[in-house]
Amino acid sequence: MKLYVNGIEHDLETPPLESLLTALREELAITSPKAGCNQGGCGACTVIVDGEPRRSCLTPLAAIDGASVTTVEGLGADGALSPIQAAFFDHYATQCGFCVSGFMLAAHTLLEREPGAGRDRIIEGLAGHLCRCTGYVKIVEAVEAAARGDVDLSRDRDRESEFLTEGSQA
Amino acid sequence: MAKHRGRGIATIEYPTGMNQNGDPSQAWVKLKPDGRVDVFAGTVDIGQGSRTVHTQIVADTLGVPYDWVTMDNTNTDSSPVCTGSFASRGTFIGGNAVRFAAEKARERVLDIASKELEIDPADLEIADGEVVAKGAPDRKISISDVAAAATWVHGELITGTGAALKPYAVVDDDTGKVDIDPHSAISYAACVAEVEVDDETGEVTVEKMVQVYDVGRAINPMLVEGQIDGGAMMGLGLGLLEAAYPYYPSAEHRGGEFGAYLMPSLEDLPELDNVIIENPSADGPFGAKAIGEMANNAQPPAICAAIHDAVGVWVTECPATPERVLRALDERAEPRRDGKRVIFDEAVSVRGVSANAGKDAEGHGFILVDD
Amino acid sequence: MKAVGARLPRYDGLAQITGQVRYVDDVRVPGTLWAKALRSPHHFAGITKLDTGKAEAMEGVHAVITKDDVPLNVYGHLSALGVPGDEPLLAEDEVRYKGQPIAVVAAETEELAQAAVESIEIAYDEREPLFDMRKAFDADAAPIHPWGPVYNHFGPPDHRRIRKGDVEKAFADADVIVQGVYRPQAIEHCPLEPQTALVVPEADGRLTIYSCTQAMYFSMGVVAAHLQCPLNRLKFVGGTVGGGFGGKVDTATETVCALLAMKSKRPVKWRWTREEEFLASSTRAPWHMEIADAVTSDGWILGRKMLTLHDAGAYTRFSSYGLTKHAFHHTGAYTIPNLNFNGYVVFTNRVPTTAMRGFGVTSVSYAAEMHMNRIADVLGLDPFAVRLKNANRIGDLTGNMVRLKDPSTVAVMLAAAERIGHELPAELRGMTNEPRTGELLPEHLKASVATNGSED
Repeated sequence: MKLYVNGIEHDLETPPLESLLTALREELAITSPKAGCNQGGCGACTVIVDGEPRRSCLTPLAAIDGASVTTVEGLGADGALSPIQAAFFDHYATQCGFCVSGFMLAAHTLLEREPGAGRDRIIEGLAGHLCRCTGYVKIVEAVEAAARGDVDLSRDRDRESEFLTEGSQA
Repeated sequence: MAKHRGRGIATIEYPTGMNQNGDPSQAWVKLKPDGRVDVFAGTVDIGQGSRTVHTQIVADTLGVPYDWVTMDNTNTDSSPVCTGSFASRGTFIGGNAVRFAAEKARERVLDIASKELEIDPADLEIADGEVVAKGAPDRKISISDVAAAATWVHGELITGTGAALKPYAVVDDDTGKVDIDPHSAISYAACVAEVEVDDETGEVTVEKMVQVYDVGRAINPMLVEGQIDGGAMMGLGLGLLEAAYPYYPSAEHRGGEFGAYLMPSLEDLPELDNVIIENPSADGPFGAKAIGEMANNAQPPAICAAIHDAVGVWVTECPATPERVLRALDERAEPRRDGKRVIFDEAVSVRGVSANAGKDAEGHGFILVDD
Repeated sequence: MKAVGARLPRYDGLAQITGQVRYVDDVRVPGTLWAKALRSPHHFAGITKLDTGKAEAMEGVHAVITKDDVPLNVYGHLSALGVPGDEPLLAEDEVRYKGQPIAVVAAETEELAQAAVESIEIAYDEREPLFDMRKAFDADAAPIHPWGPVYNHFGPPDHRRIRKGDVEKAFADADVIVQGVYRPQAIEHCPLEPQTALVVPEADGRLTIYSCTQAMYFSMGVVAAHLQCPLNRLKFVGGTVGGGFGGKVDTATETVCALLAMKSKRPVKWRWTREEEFLASSTRAPWHMEIADAVTSDGWILGRKMLTLHDAGAYTRFSSYGLTKHAFHHTGAYTIPNLNFNGYVVFTNRVPTTAMRGFGVTSVSYAAEMHMNRIADVLGLDPFAVRLKNANRIGDLTGNMVRLKDPSTVAVMLAAAERIGHELPAELRGMTNEPRTGELLPEHLKASVATNGSED
């Protein structure tokens, strides 16, 4: 089986009836998509396959021979974050972080197809993704910000100084 | 065949730290030769952001820029004891451990700075990574230079250790009385839930929740909001959606998948209006109390109270599924009145279900409230 | 510049959104074997035969463990607090819940491990289970444990007790007694990351334990006790968990993997399936609470009688701790001067229950707040008003005789009322948490309130 993952061609040894998730995590050591349930129920394994967000735990390799796959590692370019990543970072849309890969890839694709999508459309489009930590609030805020183009793409940790406060506190 | 709106309230309190205390958290801190700070603590970050909170506490306690502080909580060889990330103890007890360690390191910084500047430590203060003479801002030395001096001149590793432990509270087995406070602090919260109930399907939609939390001090307001939001949805799940045993007391599950167990999804998200109050604790780091655990406690009773406000029935077995709401609407159960007693839910009480009012053949068993 | 109080981004935020955070399942160690467990299909049964020979002989299987492989099989998570252990790591001669682990296999692949599990020969003699804790003392109740239906180490009593004041007088003096029953249910933690442990045997005899525990040292103590080894034999690696909520404290995966790693001399990983998470992992406990409050027609709560049954499932785990915490908070955010609380940890044949967010207090918050709303409804009073007059104030004594120094009950309620635009009469709007005086200090509360100048 052949796959193009984040722009790189791979000849896979993983058997064709194994899932894309297994191939990514075990053979290619791309661990950003997570095995949350292996039942297609949570979305944590979501990756982009030929432009579509797919549950990689339910996608047998045989069904996607020759496809182009994008994971979180393939988002962003030239050292900069993609808009969706920057938005998730700035809006504190992560807590334990386990679901975030699937959410970001699904949101990234949604916004590519529907730039400027509103809150209701965002909620509808991402409803199949589960998060137990955040209560979804800041995830929605992050995607709304990305939809508005209201993001800072730099990856610099020194940006933290922007968030500090002036003056003395007890 | 109508939708009814209702509103219900709940007020709660929750202790900080393990019940009866006796749960240590420890930390140690060291400075690198350029003044950068390494923190070693055992507190596990389960998503609540303990690494963030702890590094914030260390930065301000020591007086260094935030990005000078790195944290290693990855293993038990380098990190000392933290009893665990539960009982809402990570910010208070874990935070105190790193704070105590940073305070000790701060003393060492001042001591070496005082040798370098030849000024008494009591006349020095620290801000933004610099040790400065009080009232004489041109007499100063950067913490980088202090750390370098410690390493290359004074032969000292600038370090500090901290251990936070409140002694174990002994409980009297007969009365429950404790000899000292069995907690480090208490947090408080109130929740008002607004629901819409469909009296034909029994479905309950939470339209909005107003939540007020006293967290003592919000070390990082974004993290606090995250707990409030996440707790709100978890509480909504507890109140309306979730049951491991849908036919309890049967141990039967509905299945082993997310589709069979209804965890709250994006589409369940109501309007959330959060208010954070800061009534500082006496002993917590920068006055902090706790929020993590209590965050899902107020919503289930607020939602069930709102259901009563909407349609006049009490659902007192969570989750308030459509089936339970409809059954309650069908029964319209009134409490039994017996003199001045107003008695609800008799059919599900121990007395109502057990063959011998919860007692064995010798008369020993559960002490009922109307024994 | 100050960090405390700032809306700083997460320390690990950049790693999270670039997919670089390493959870246990992301750790790669060459030669890792996969673990699978044989779990009881019965709620309650004796094990009459157990033969792992076929599994051990299978190609690709490197180790099989049962109770005989565990140096100390029965160890309670709260043993350090004096709570006797009652739960085996791997089943001894009986199983007490559906899903209880009996044997675990380590093999080259997950499929092989599962096939080996299915080849284990086992026979059971099924027993009648008990599921309804209200009937635990009934004559026909299944005897789950030899010592009886409830946990019995609360000192001499077999229940947690709170006794304060004169509750019979309160009930005699009451205008109304409101009685109700509250039953919140078992909840799954549902962290997105399933329970996962990976144990690597090191060349020097140490074990490196990659763990998703919420409590590295707590879990290390449990493993060390089961293995009967000093703490420095073990190195826990973790600190980053994909959600816990209380479900990743009652460690078992680490010990099992450690034993398999020692026996096979290979790294061993056990990643629970989502099905195992739903069907075999510990849950929040179901609770049964009965409250009878003695109240006056103007809304004072004179006294409370309460019965709590906590469904521990098949074994104690943390239940005694949770029930004690529940007892300490059974008056909610209010000062109730006369109390008679009795709480029981009751065993049933279901998956042992454990801590979950709010442990012990979530249940009592539900019951106490529902009951407050019922009291308000029965008396025809505003639910805010009933709460505000009974609310904790500085100097109030709690049920277990803690003197409150700075309670915020009034503050959060007034803030909530204001936020929703609920008009309160002036005397309620002006309330504070200052020590009780005047109308807020009726006779029945005087014994529960600090006199001026006296502080613990």
